[in-house]
Amino acid sequence: MATTTNYGWTTPDDTALVKDGAAAIRTLGSSVDTTTKNLNPSTTLGDIEYRSSTANVNTRLGIGSTGNVLTVTGGVPTWAVPSGAGSMTEIASGSLSSTSVVLSSIPQTYRHLFLYVKNAQVSNLTLMIFRLNGSTSSIYTEKGFSLNNTVFRNNVSQAYFSPATQEVNIPTGANNDTYSLFIEEYTQTAYKNITTSMRDSASDGAESYNTFNNFASTTAITSVTIAGSNGTSTFSAGTYALYGVK
Amino acid sequence: MANTKPQITVINVETGEEIIRDANADEIAQIKLDAANDEARKVEAEAKAIAKAAILDRLGLSADELQTILG
Repeated sequence: MATTTNYGWTTPDDTALVKDGAAAIRTLGSSVDTTTKNLNPSTTLGDIEYRSSTANVNTRLGIGSTGNVLTVTGGVPTWAVPSGAGSMTEIASGSLSSTSVVLSSIPQTYRHLFLYVKNAQVSNLTLMIFRLNGSTSSIYTEKGFSLNNTVFRNNVSQAYFSPATQEVNIPTGANNDTYSLFIEEYTQTAYKNITTSMRDSASDGAESYNTFNNFASTTAITSVTIAGSNGTSTFSAGTYALYGVK
Repeated sequence: MANTKPQITVINVETGEEIIRDANADEIAQIKLDAANDEARKVEAEAKAIAKAAILDRLGLSADELQTILG
C-alpha cells in the first residue's frame, strides 16, 4: 500500500483497483485529521504548541499569567514570573486622606516592598505610624537612631512601627518631610526584617531618623496601614507610593 | 447630623478600587486605645525630659556639654 512522504498516510496504489472509493477517502481523511490534531493540540485562547519527544506530535502549552515570560525548564518551554532582578515597580500611589490609609490586597509576586510617604499633613499633631496586615499586637520591635547618634526606642516592642522619635510629629502645615518603609521578603512565612527612615525637613534636612525593626509575624504581608499614632488625626495632604521590588 | 465617625480610606492595590468608609466598632476601639497609649507616651517622654534636665542641673552641665562628653 502506498503512503505519503512526510506523514505516511495510506493511499491506494497506482495499480490498485479501487472498489470502495469512499472508504479509501475516509481512511486518508482520518489520517489527515489525526495528524493535524497531533500537530495543533490547541484548545484555548493563547495556547501555543511545541514539539514533543514523539515525532509529529506537539504538546499544548496554555497561556501563562499576566506578566509571565516564556522560559525553559527541563528542556521544554514554560511560562514563568520574570526574574527581573533589581527592577522596581510602582504598584500603588495616591493622596493621603481620612484617619488612615490602608493599602490592601498587595500582590505576592515581588520580593520586597518599599513604601514612600511625602509631605504628609494632619489636622492635629501626631506621630506617623505604619501597621502591617492590620495587626495591633505588640509585635513591632524597633531600635531607632537619629543622625546625631541619639538612640531611641532601644529594642522596644510596640503596636506599630514609627520612624521618628516621639517629639517629631507630622506637621499641620506644608512641609517636605518624607517617610519610607522597606519590607524585606514580605511574602515569606517567617519574621520579617524592616527598616524605616524619616527626613525631618523642619531641621533643614540636617536631621534624619532611622529604625531597624522586626515584625514578629509568620504571615505574608498583604496590607500596609498609614496612620497617626493618636488614631484621631485626619490626613489633609500628602502622597504615598508603594513599590514592588524584584 | 454630621458624621463624626473616623473615616478610613482603603485602596485595593490589585484592582485600584478606593473606598472611604466609617471605622467599624473594633477600629474605633483601637483608635481610642491608640489615643490613650499616645497620651501615656507623651507624659512619659515629658517626665523623662524633666528628669534628665534635673540631673544635668545637679551636675551643672548643659545638654550640649553632655553631648560633648558622650562624644
